[in-house]
Amino acid sequence: MTQEEFTELEQSDLSLLETLDHVLNRGLVIAGEITISVADVDLIFVGLNVMLTSVETAREVLVERNRKASGDE
Amino acid sequence: MPEAFYIYCLGEEGELSPLFDEKLIEAIEPGTKLQLIAADALAAVASVVPLADYGEEGFQARLAEPAWVAARAMRHERVLEHFASRASVIPLRFGAIYLKRARVEEMLHERAAELRSFIKRLRGKEEWGVNLFCDRAQLLEQIASLSPALREINERAAKASAGQAYLLRKKVDAQRADEARAEVRRVAGELERKLSAESDGVVRLRLRQAETAEHGDLAAKLAFLVEREGFKDFRAAAEELAAHYASAGFRLELTGPWPAYNFVAESEVR
Repeated sequence: MTQEEFTELEQSDLSLLETLDHVLNRGLVIAGEITISVADVDLIFVGLNVMLTSVETAREVLVERNRKASGDE
Repeated sequence: MPEAFYIYCLGEEGELSPLFDEKLIEAIEPGTKLQLIAADALAAVASVVPLADYGEEGFQARLAEPAWVAARAMRHERVLEHFASRASVIPLRFGAIYLKRARVEEMLHERAAELRSFIKRLRGKEEWGVNLFCDRAQLLEQIASLSPALREINERAAKASAGQAYLLRKKVDAQRADEARAEVRRVAGELERKLSAESDGVVRLRLRQAETAEHGDLAAKLAFLVEREGFKDFRAAAEELAAHYASAGFRLELTGPWPAYNFVAESEVR
């Protein structure tokens, strides 16, 4: 994942899952020469949930570390 | 590198074309530009994508990477929101790919009548999502205090022997759960009825695996097609329902405006 994509994900947080639900799962399928169906949407959601959780955990760890660092000063 | 055309949404050429004179937003792949492919006075908003990622094989592999999918799905959504807020467009799902420009033109030509009727139906309207959450503990408590049948059994249990009281309490629990389920269904039904009256269409959405948020379990998910002009009334009706059911453990969440993803045919258009 590039830095840019990572930032994009972090900004969205909860609305991300709601958006994916709309974009991946609903609406008109216009099949071109290549038919693509995102059949494993639930799996993608699970993957994302885990990823968002780890982003959240990483953030907490950083905040905690910063708090401790400033407390030591 | 071999390339393909990624399609975002469809609309009337006359309405979409002037939007390309203004500043445009980012396409799904960085460094590429949005373009318009037109035929029969209809047009598709498109951009070029690398076939390595969007071809049949490459795409299946990419779908297994949540971060790759999520970043692009967000960009797809942003493009759609940009055009949906400025024109009447048919939103397409993530992943409509054409190998040749001419095939997009053919599709517009072949489906012209159908596409025009969608564009007409969606004009001036937006999709709003309504999520109903239920705090189960609060609902069960509420039901225990309101249901005469449950009160009666509880009173009997209070006077009964220990063994009998145990059985009666189990009966209370089972009945309470039944009544809670029925109440969730009833509230969801009322939500659908009352908000339908303020909108142009409703779709019941599939719930994903058990979804729990701060304010309880997701009990129902609905999508409404709402006139932009009429949104104030729709919102007022939703707020009234939210206030009415708050004490029974229900919370309403309104999301949107979305491109009308749920109000174009579910069937495949070939």
